[in-house]
Amino acid sequence: MNRTVLIIGIIIVAVIVFVLFAGLGKDPQHIDSPLIGKPAPPFTLKAVNTGQTIDLESLRGKPVIVNFWATWCVPCYEEHPTLVANARQLPDVQFVGVVFNDTEDKINQFLAARGSAYPTLLDANGKTAIAYGVGGVPETYFINPSGIIVAKFEGPMDSEILRANLAKALR
Amino acid sequence: MIATFFLLALLQIKAPDAAQFVGQPKGIPLSGPRLEEQTMVISHELRCPVCQGLAIGDSPSIMAANMKAQVRELLERGYTEEQILSYFEKSYGQFVLLKPKFQGVNTLVWILPIAVLAIGFVLVVSKAKKLEVAPAPAAVEEPVDDPYLAQVREMVEKP
Repeated sequence: MNRTVLIIGIIIVAVIVFVLFAGLGKDPQHIDSPLIGKPAPPFTLKAVNTGQTIDLESLRGKPVIVNFWATWCVPCYEEHPTLVANARQLPDVQFVGVVFNDTEDKINQFLAARGSAYPTLLDANGKTAIAYGVGGVPETYFINPSGIIVAKFEGPMDSEILRANLAKALR
Repeated sequence: MIATFFLLALLQIKAPDAAQFVGQPKGIPLSGPRLEEQTMVISHELRCPVCQGLAIGDSPSIMAANMKAQVRELLERGYTEEQILSYFEKSYGQFVLLKPKFQGVNTLVWILPIAVLAIGFVLVVSKAKKLEVAPAPAAVEEPVDDPYLAQVREMVEKP
């Protein structure tokens, strides 16, 4: 009897230890996107910096990088120079910024102070962010020329991360 | 809401729509107290993606407020609870559902606690049964010729 109890106890503890061990090193805030491999949800939004209206569908044929950000997001300040520099170096890639829960004035002040190289769209009610499953900003989606989401990156990117994810959209 | 719709149409702004994910509404458009009640019900079934285990109905975050507003709007348009949960699941994955679905690895979440309880119950019952049936331990016969015991007895019994 004691041996049976011991074996059952060991099995239960082993399962718990395995589950905890498997979770070690994983970011609890990370969400695996179910949109990878699926068509990017289409949107048509107004760019606050250029005034033009951008329709995602019209960008088919070239890779698109959609970066969700906000002026109240501290890591977005860190990431912005990387995005601007890469947008200038990669004219065949369409960069699109989508800002949510923010105001046009603040966005324009931010861009005036830190530079701008691509359209920055305002997602006034956060619907676009929700459709993309955005959990927090910055968050970036890489879309291939066929309009399929091939990668998602959570957090601020450096050039290496950006180019590694972009490579998936170019395959 | 109608004013917002016309303003957005005027600006030619179009956010992704739930219809692209879950098709056309299959229910009845809700309004009034029923709408508020059902918004609260669904808001407590969806996890806030920027909080620690909070439902969007309990979270003060802007993201949760946006999600709750979208739940309300979808109910107004006639989307069913199942369609709304499916819409959010298609964007965020099963993570967003506070009640995990009974499928795949999630099955363990439902089965394991019940299985552990059942095993524990069986163990306790079988142990209790054995204790009931076990005969009383036989009295240990004292060795008659133990000089130490004889000495103790003598000391105790001495008036």
